[in-house]
Amino acid sequence: MNGGGTSRHIGRIIIRAIVTLLMVAILNFILFRVIPGDPAKLLLGGARTSVTAEQIEAQRQNWGLDRPLFPDQLVDYLSATVRGDLGYSFKFRGRHVADLILEHLPATIILVGIAQLTAIVIGVMLGIYAGWRRGGTLDNLATGTSLLLYSTPSFWVAMILVVIFSTSLGWLPGYGAYSPGGTISFVDSLLDHLRHLALPVTAVALGLIGQYVVVARAAMSDVVTEDYMVTARAKGLTNGQMLMRHAFRNAMLPVVTLIALNLGYVVAGAITVEAVFAWPGIGGLTVEALNARDYPILQGIFLLLGASIVVANLVADLAYGLLDPRVRQ
Amino acid sequence: MNKWPLSRRAVAKAMLLASAAPLVMNLEALAGSSCADGIVRIAGIAAPDTMNPFATWSSSWPMYFTYDALVGVDAQRHDDRRGFAKSWSVAKDNLTWTFKIWPSMKWSDGQPATARDAAFTYNYLRGSIGKPDELNVGYNNTGGLENIESIAALDDETLQIVTKSRTRWPVDNYTLMVPEHIWKDVSYAEARSTFQNKPPLVGTGPMIVSEFQPGQFASLTPNKYFRAGRPATAGMTYRFFNSADPIAQGLKSGDLDYGMSLTAAQWEELSNDPAIAVGESRIEQRNYLAFNTLSGKGAGSTKALQDPAFRDAIGYAIDQKTIVDRAFRGHADPGVGLAMPVTADYYSELSEIRRHFDLAEAGRRLDAAGYRDTNGDGLREDRDGNPFQLELITGTTSGVLEIPTAAIQLIAGWLEQIGIPVTVTQLDSGALAARTAAPADGGGGWDLLVSAGWLGPSAHDLLSLGNSKLIGTSNTSYWKNDKFDKLLSEADVTVDLKKSRELVDQASRLIYIEAPYIMLCYPFLLEAHRKDCFQGWGTNDAVSMWGYFPFDRLKPAPTP
Repeated sequence: MNGGGTSRHIGRIIIRAIVTLLMVAILNFILFRVIPGDPAKLLLGGARTSVTAEQIEAQRQNWGLDRPLFPDQLVDYLSATVRGDLGYSFKFRGRHVADLILEHLPATIILVGIAQLTAIVIGVMLGIYAGWRRGGTLDNLATGTSLLLYSTPSFWVAMILVVIFSTSLGWLPGYGAYSPGGTISFVDSLLDHLRHLALPVTAVALGLIGQYVVVARAAMSDVVTEDYMVTARAKGLTNGQMLMRHAFRNAMLPVVTLIALNLGYVVAGAITVEAVFAWPGIGGLTVEALNARDYPILQGIFLLLGASIVVANLVADLAYGLLDPRVRQ
Repeated sequence: MNKWPLSRRAVAKAMLLASAAPLVMNLEALAGSSCADGIVRIAGIAAPDTMNPFATWSSSWPMYFTYDALVGVDAQRHDDRRGFAKSWSVAKDNLTWTFKIWPSMKWSDGQPATARDAAFTYNYLRGSIGKPDELNVGYNNTGGLENIESIAALDDETLQIVTKSRTRWPVDNYTLMVPEHIWKDVSYAEARSTFQNKPPLVGTGPMIVSEFQPGQFASLTPNKYFRAGRPATAGMTYRFFNSADPIAQGLKSGDLDYGMSLTAAQWEELSNDPAIAVGESRIEQRNYLAFNTLSGKGAGSTKALQDPAFRDAIGYAIDQKTIVDRAFRGHADPGVGLAMPVTADYYSELSEIRRHFDLAEAGRRLDAAGYRDTNGDGLREDRDGNPFQLELITGTTSGVLEIPTAAIQLIAGWLEQIGIPVTVTQLDSGALAARTAAPADGGGGWDLLVSAGWLGPSAHDLLSLGNSKLIGTSNTSYWKNDKFDKLLSEADVTVDLKKSRELVDQASRLIYIEAPYIMLCYPFLLEAHRKDCFQGWGTNDAVSMWGYFPFDRLKPAPTP
């Protein structure tokens, strides 16, 4: 592909991404307002005295919910979004949505990021090896376990982990990101955080490992039967050379796609797992915002999620080109 | 050479290392489970959003620990749990109230806390009435202040409230007293929305919120200026959860000292733990079955719902005792009228008009009212000849007001037995609020509702279910009755408790007979605390639901 072609190709991808994000933004606006529920009424949901219609109306006016949806609220939202302003939260009483997302994002990236890396290393290695040694003991064991993990809801795995390791054995904390209160040193604080991370990371990683093993094994199973592998063996290459020089790279194509797509979902976190562990990440914020019908937060989170998936797809396209010369042509 | 297969020795080493990990991790106890630091760790199903009492309803806990109400519910129920005022009285005209503030009281920042601060709090609210930014959206709100003639500090220790008409509002309001020197420069526009009131807060309560992480926890430190002396504990951590599971786990593991909003199953399991004491609090919650009494826009699927005789007959098909025993495992009082047992001043057994569970009697009454099964298919028809097929909607209105599925199944089963089939629609809190909104706001269109509410113990709040001004909010059945409204208006301007009781009783009987609601039960709040770190908890109801008891008087337990 010549330089001009490459530029045009990248330009097309970027334009497609911008249009996609615009569609996501509009869809977000409509989608969350279709869900029945009045944020103004929910803001007064905890009231311990009778709430009047006037109080609900006051809340509506307070947060601009009394204005027409189309065009007023939609135009305001789109123009603010284009300027990079995600607006103000209802539930958190006027705090910037961007600030709230930035506060919760690190916890999710740490949790899902570590789980992803763990799962990629373990899952891909196991899957590749199981595919390479099809029918062996490890293959049967890894495939069976992976299918089980892949098909088990991660929140259920999370609950089981809590029951065993937190409630029964008392080895690890079952909720939160760290122990509040008290003044402890940086090292103790880090250790405390790692101990809180252990169970949620395991819960997320177990499901992902299953996914990676299944995909990597299937890809490797296809590769080992290819003609070029027979040729490689005929040329006298060792098992290790055949695996690393020929099989591995080819088998990685579908795995890279899966990794890239999964990395896109890092931002979304693992909502159900975060809920089980009361993890202070984006997942927890999403649940809170959904319960309060906090449209600005929901719009902000889903816009971020859309952007991360678009970027992840872009990375997958580029990685494909690096791994497979045929794509570059 | 192939290096891939793992050697048995390597696998054995890895397994050994893995098995040692928990031991290494458990070298010191969980950071949160130690008694040594003297910090009380509590948890509840809650989602506080801001520490600004003028902007939110969601943060009463932990704000209760920091701010005092002038009198408050607790002070009226318990002599030893006073608030900002040490004592109070009302003049013979029943309009002029005098409150004596604790002498030499201080805010947590050391500034004097006087009657002037109380006057400021109320007048700050009053000053906003009628303005675009009226303070009518939060816990501290203008409700009731329209009936106030004047509020003034006569001196540092004397607050006088003069009302326009007779009302118990001066002692029944729950407004939290805030310091003038902090709030005087906060505009109404900020106070009702964006002012975060960032910790450390300044209050007169025993524990001051010093750190607040929305969705996670609030840390509180002892108030060294607390009027009864600095609390004996080193502080508190209040953790917020969306469900009771981590609360039960935390109590078992020793990570929490106190937890509430437990389920019956969790509570019973915890009761078997020798290190834990369980308790149950009677609260102002009432779970009820409501009929959609609307005609016209928003009406239900049959006109029978508008007929008191039909609703009364259904009342005979509801067995409150079975609901308590089977759906709540005994952790509730059976439903009777609008007032619940915890509001001892107003509760009545309504003995002479009370319905009893009798499906045959329900059937007879339906027959008598003209709702018979004319074609022998087992289903009754309404007066228009249409077979009944009622939609029952339900859902969780908030974390602590969960409706057990078993209760819904029981009700649907009983109605089925008297020839009235029911389809159940489960909704989330937002959707439930949308469907029970006023018809003008798109609400209605359902037939039966099983829901719950938890308001205050005042006469006004007890009668809210029938208040025509609250249709679409508290009054979910859309029921309107002029006589009821008149009784409510009278109760609103009655100071004398005996007279107030009579009015509430009359209104309760009227709505019971008309039956827009069938009270199912008054659930208990289930709670538990560990015995190893602290002592001084309450007996059966370990913790007040309207104040900071016992966190002002907890002490570290003696080490064994």
